[in-house]
Amino acid sequence: MDYVVAILLPQLLHGLVFGAALGLLALGLTVIFGLLGVMNFAHGELYMLGAYAGIAVVGVTHSFWAALVVAPLAVGAIGAVTEVATLRPLYRREPLYGLILTFGLALVFREGVRQIWGGDMRRILPPFTGSTPLLGMTYPNYRLFLLVASSLLLLAIWLFFTKTRAGVLVRAAVQDAEMLDGLGVNVPRVFTLTFAGSAALAALAGLLLAPIFTVYPQMGVEMILLAFIVVILGGMGSMGGSVVAAVVIGLAQSLLTLWMNPQRVAIAIFAIMIVVLIVRPRGFFGREGVLE
Amino acid sequence: MSRALSWRAVVVWVLLAALPVLPFMSKFYLLLAFDALLFGAIAMSLDLLIGYTGLVSFGHAAFFGLGAYASAVLLERGIVSLWACLLFAVLVVGLYALVVSYFSTTRRGIYFALLTLIFAEVVYTFFRYTQTFGGSDGIQGVPPPRLVGGFAIDTPMRNYYLVLVYLGLAYLACRVLVTSHFGKVLVAIRENEDRARFLGYNVQRYKMAVCMISALLTGLGGALYPGRSAFATPDLMLWTVSGEFIIMVMIGGLGTLAGPVVGGAFFVLLQEKVSSYVDWYFIVIGLVLIFIVLFMPKGLLGIRELLGGRRWRATA
Amino acid sequence: MARDGVVLEVDTVSKSFGALAALSNVSLVVQAGQIFSVIGPNGAGKSTLFNVVSGLHVPTTGRVRFRDRDIAGLAPETINRLGVAKTFQITNIFPEISVFENVRVAAQSRVRESGRLPSLWRLPDVEAAAADLLRAFGLAAKRDEMAENLSHGEQRYLEICLALATEPTLLLLDEPTAGMTPGETKEATALIRQIASARGLTVLLIEHDMSVVMGISDRIAVLHFGEKIAEGAPEEIRSDPKVVEAYLGPPED
Repeated sequence: MDYVVAILLPQLLHGLVFGAALGLLALGLTVIFGLLGVMNFAHGELYMLGAYAGIAVVGVTHSFWAALVVAPLAVGAIGAVTEVATLRPLYRREPLYGLILTFGLALVFREGVRQIWGGDMRRILPPFTGSTPLLGMTYPNYRLFLLVASSLLLLAIWLFFTKTRAGVLVRAAVQDAEMLDGLGVNVPRVFTLTFAGSAALAALAGLLLAPIFTVYPQMGVEMILLAFIVVILGGMGSMGGSVVAAVVIGLAQSLLTLWMNPQRVAIAIFAIMIVVLIVRPRGFFGREGVLE
Repeated sequence: MSRALSWRAVVVWVLLAALPVLPFMSKFYLLLAFDALLFGAIAMSLDLLIGYTGLVSFGHAAFFGLGAYASAVLLERGIVSLWACLLFAVLVVGLYALVVSYFSTTRRGIYFALLTLIFAEVVYTFFRYTQTFGGSDGIQGVPPPRLVGGFAIDTPMRNYYLVLVYLGLAYLACRVLVTSHFGKVLVAIRENEDRARFLGYNVQRYKMAVCMISALLTGLGGALYPGRSAFATPDLMLWTVSGEFIIMVMIGGLGTLAGPVVGGAFFVLLQEKVSSYVDWYFIVIGLVLIFIVLFMPKGLLGIRELLGGRRWRATA
Repeated sequence: MARDGVVLEVDTVSKSFGALAALSNVSLVVQAGQIFSVIGPNGAGKSTLFNVVSGLHVPTTGRVRFRDRDIAGLAPETINRLGVAKTFQITNIFPEISVFENVRVAAQSRVRESGRLPSLWRLPDVEAAAADLLRAFGLAAKRDEMAENLSHGEQRYLEICLALATEPTLLLLDEPTAGMTPGETKEATALIRQIASARGLTVLLIEHDMSVVMGISDRIAVLHFGEKIAEGAPEEIRSDPKVVEAYLGPPED
């Protein structure tokens, strides 16, 4: 029982917290893939930009809450400009060009940030500290806030995609992008707004996780691999799937560290993905034949 | 099969062979030239996959790094024969490539790219954290390999000629390959994989074979690297390095052999030139890549087409 | 005709996708040298039948025998190597290489080196065979054009060239005249007839346009909602009331 309360339970919660934030990241990635057919290599850098934009805003306003509003908007704007300037000309070309182009974007963003803020590790202080007694243990308040905030966001996104006309439209377009043409919708605008939204989500994930992780220019490189794995596991283009897979990966990562050292955990997660891809290439919830 | 060498090709090879005796070629420039040719050859091997077969591998850094480790491990233990190093690299890289290509070639497009990426990341993580191979420091300070008896490849000039021979042989191999029966099928797979199956081709076998060939050529290049640098580190296998290989191919032009060699050399020189003036060379490289994808998807050699020259893509 | 004259035997084949039965208990026997047509309105199961014969689908039940060998469930490339070549309803060529290279890659599929080690360095000479085919279809002048730049009708011919280059015994033609003008269609049907007899081919052809098949077929089968409702010589089919009702619908005008 002690073991459960002292070790297993906190680790389980850590996993949930991380999984929910990872879900925000992966959701944007999978929507962009479904809609634009682009596997966005720069998504990790948008996540990283969110944290740095947060640092900038906190530096001026001394308020984490202000940063939480301004940083996603700023990164969303960067996303919109990027989409219009670089991705839009590629829509009719092979999807692999998109992959390669976003790799170039990632380089530019990462090195741009290093030029502005330097390569050092930075931290953002959590807006509040302290812990709350919970199920016989105490758990840090900020992590609880993170869990609640991410879950509410995911819920809001779910409501958006199921209850609003715009959301239903985008969801339908993720399944079949060509149907948009037939509806008389301004397709480029839908694409741009969706890309901006997914960038803002990534930025939000970056900023929310910043107080419990460290902030440095390479932080997106490590997250993007995990996000790719989540998107593949969930089934490319499946939104629900990527959230479920994010939680599964968050929990797996967190619980596996109880029994193995971190590098084994990394390899174990890669192994899970390789096995899933080979046995069930469409992932948990993906449609058959998307890219098989 | 292989046509008589054109006079232009002869001039290029003669110039490359004469490069070290030029007066301004310091040791520094010789090593730079080594890198340019080495990565040029690797980009060429990668283009067999990307440009000819239409498979984008995001895991070539693992083949390169495994080759480098194979040779560094032997050198570190006093087995200094170059031939032993090359043979061992072929074995190690071949085994790994067999697994990767078997599983990855069952998938297409982005799935293939991501599978190769994840496989490479497993290898990277393994070397990064395994103390037997020096962990994150890798294997440092290995002695130079020997060609025969006491003849060590221990000067920049000897290293340069070694890599020139490697490039020449790799080019020859690729040239023969892409103009053969096999090469024609690769292009058919790039153009329309399903149709190739209905013409009686076991497509997966072809894809596996070209994957193996490309991986082995890349691994051989990796095996030459510790002789020049005296080390092998896990950073050689970072997935961003795989991305750089792709950039080299893109710069040079898909579906050609000379193109990626030029692209690789250009990349190395750009990196060196830009980074000696400013420390934001990756921004420049990123912008170059974006520019190429948007405006010159055929790469540097595509300029010739813009000027009314020949078609860029191999019909070979 | 003797038993050994049978090239293709489709024996009570059914194929369903989930709850949808695309084919139910369809049987056909195609004799050597015949031009055998399968007709039926869109959605009658014609393409499914082709996909089962060519290896894209595994039949749910039933057998497919090609020259007395069971081929159901074999991979498309294996079936092709046994001597069955297929053309596609939607043009399916290699777009960004030349017309000649298109045919060459198809023709070299049958040389001795194909699939063996020497194919890595040898380039077999199939020039003559490829040039013959291009000439037969009037494409000789276009041999160096990029395939995607051909006109629609020319691409349909190239499609057939690709299949023929693999030297099949049985040629499966999936609506070879789809999208052609009436004039082109007439020319194409005549050409197919002529080439089939010159090469001693057996042809299985599917069409939804009945007028195309009447002129060239030795035998016709009619599919309707996945079932074979009639089979016979063209004149029998033309006058079969079941066919008229199911396929042609109420008389026009």
